[in-house]
Amino acid sequence: MSPEKTFVGLTNYLDLFSNPAFYKALRVTMLFCAGSVLPVILIGLGLALLMNGKLKGSTLYQVLLFSPWVTPTVAVSIVWSWIYEPEIGLANTVLDLLGLEKIDWLQDPKWALLGVLLVTIWKSVGWAMIFYLVALRNVPTDLLEAAELDGANAVQKFSRITLPLISPTTLFLFIVQIIGALQAYDQINVLTQGGPSGSTRTLLYMYYQSAFEAFQIGEASSVAMILVFICMLLSVISLEVSKRTTHYQ
Amino acid sequence: MNATTVRVGKLARHLFFAAIALIMAFPFYWMVTSALKTNDEIWQSPPTIWPKEPLWSNFSAAWHEAPFFRYMGNSVFVAVSIVILQVINSGMMAYALTHMKFRFRGLFAGVILFGYMVPATAVYLPGYLVLSQLHLLDSYAGLILSNCVSVFSIFLIRQAFLQVPHELVEAGEVDGSSHMRILWTILVPITRSSFAVLALITFIDQYNNYFWPMLITKDPNLQLVSAGLRSFFTQGGAYGLKWPLIMAASAFTIAPLLLVFLLAQKTIMQSVNMTAGSSKG
Repeated sequence: MSPEKTFVGLTNYLDLFSNPAFYKALRVTMLFCAGSVLPVILIGLGLALLMNGKLKGSTLYQVLLFSPWVTPTVAVSIVWSWIYEPEIGLANTVLDLLGLEKIDWLQDPKWALLGVLLVTIWKSVGWAMIFYLVALRNVPTDLLEAAELDGANAVQKFSRITLPLISPTTLFLFIVQIIGALQAYDQINVLTQGGPSGSTRTLLYMYYQSAFEAFQIGEASSVAMILVFICMLLSVISLEVSKRTTHYQ
Repeated sequence: MNATTVRVGKLARHLFFAAIALIMAFPFYWMVTSALKTNDEIWQSPPTIWPKEPLWSNFSAAWHEAPFFRYMGNSVFVAVSIVILQVINSGMMAYALTHMKFRFRGLFAGVILFGYMVPATAVYLPGYLVLSQLHLLDSYAGLILSNCVSVFSIFLIRQAFLQVPHELVEAGEVDGSSHMRILWTILVPITRSSFAVLALITFIDQYNNYFWPMLITKDPNLQLVSAGLRSFFTQGGAYGLKWPLIMAASAFTIAPLLLVFLLAQKTIMQSVNMTAGSSKG
C-alpha cells in the first residue's frame, strides 16, 4: 500500500470491466447463488410440508436436520474434504457402490463447484425447513377446511392458500440466502481456495485474493462496491415487495 | 381415508425422515469413526464402518499436537466478551429507537437500516486499514471491539421492545426513574427471551467466526479455533498422513457447539420465529 494517493477517477472500474477474470467470477457467483439458494428453499419447503402435521418424534428429526447449521463451517468443510478424498473417500465409495464412475470432486474444474455447493446446501436445508415449519403452522386450518368443503383438492389448496400465505417466509429466505451466498468464504477457502482454474472463485473470493493476497487495493475495492450494489438492490427489492404483499395477518 | 392408510402413511413418513436424518448426520458419524482409525485402516478400501480397534488415543494425540486448548480458550473468551457487549449495546440502541423521543430519530434509524444492507465482508478491507491505524491488529481488543455492534442484534431487540406498551416506560418516567433504570429493570426482564436468543446466536456466530478474525490476527497465540484448526489441517501437510488426527481435531472443535445446541435447542430454534419477525421491520 503506497502512501501516495492519486485520484484515478473510474479507472479501477474500467479495468475491472475489461478483465475476463471478473466476468468468470461473476458467472461463478451467479451459479453459486442459484445452485445453493434454490435447492435450499425447495428442499426446505418440501421437508417442512412432509413434516407438518402430527408426527411423533419429529423434534428429534428437526434437531438432527438443524444441527449442521450451528457447527463451524471451517470444521465441517474439513470433514467434507475427507469425504471428497478421491481414492477412498466416502463420496466416491458411495458412487462406486452404485456402480458409477469415481469423481475427482475438488480437483476437477467440472465438479469442484458442485462439491462446494453440496456442503453449503447440507449446512442450510434444516435451517430453511424450520422457518417453513413455523410459517406452515401459522396457516389457519379453517381456511384449508373451508376450501376442502368447496371441493378443492390438495394441489389447489397448496397453490391457492398455503403458498401465498407463506410467501413472506419465502421472500425472507430468498434474500437472506442470496446475501449469504454472495459472502460465502469459509467453505471455499477450506475446500478449493477458488480453484481449480478459477472454477469456484466467486466475486467475494476474488475480492479477498486481490485485497489480501495480491494487495491490489483498487481492484479489490471496486469488486467490493459491486457486491455492495447487488446487496443493496436486493434489500430494496425485498422491502418494496414485502410492503406490497402484506396480505397476511 | 381409513385407519390403515393413515398408519401406512405415518410409517412411510417416519422411514423417510429417519433416512434423511441419517444422511444429514452421517458426516458427523464419519468424522468420529475416522478419528478412531489407525493410519493403515483409514486407507483401507472399502472403508470400515466402525474401526476394528478404536484408537481413542488419537484424540489426546491431536489435542497435544497443536495448542487447541489455547485456540478454544481464545474463541470462548472472545465470543463471551462480544455477547456481553452486544447485549449492552443492542439494549441501549433499541431503547433509544423505540421508547425515546429525540430529533433525527428517523434519520438515525435509517442509517442503522443502511448498515443492515451493506454486506459485512465488503468492508473488511477498509475495516482492516482502520484497525491497523488504531494499532488494534493482533490483539484481543481488536477482535472484540470490531464485533461488538451488530445491526442484526439491534433489530432483534428493537422488535421485542416494540411489543412492550409505552405506558410501562411512561409509568417509570413518572416514578422518576432514569432511562437506564427503565431499560434494565423494566424492559429487559420482560423481553429476556429475546436477549437469550441474541446471546446464543451471537455466541455461536462468534465461536465459529473465521474470515475476519483470521484477517486481523497473524499471531498464532491469538488464533480462534477455526483458524487454528485450519492451520493444523494445512500443516498436517502431506494431508493424507494425518487424517485420523485431523478428524479428531475437527470433532473436538465441533463438540462444544453441538452440546450448546442440544442443551438450548428450543431457544435456538425459537430464534427462527424472531429473525423472521425482525426482518419485517
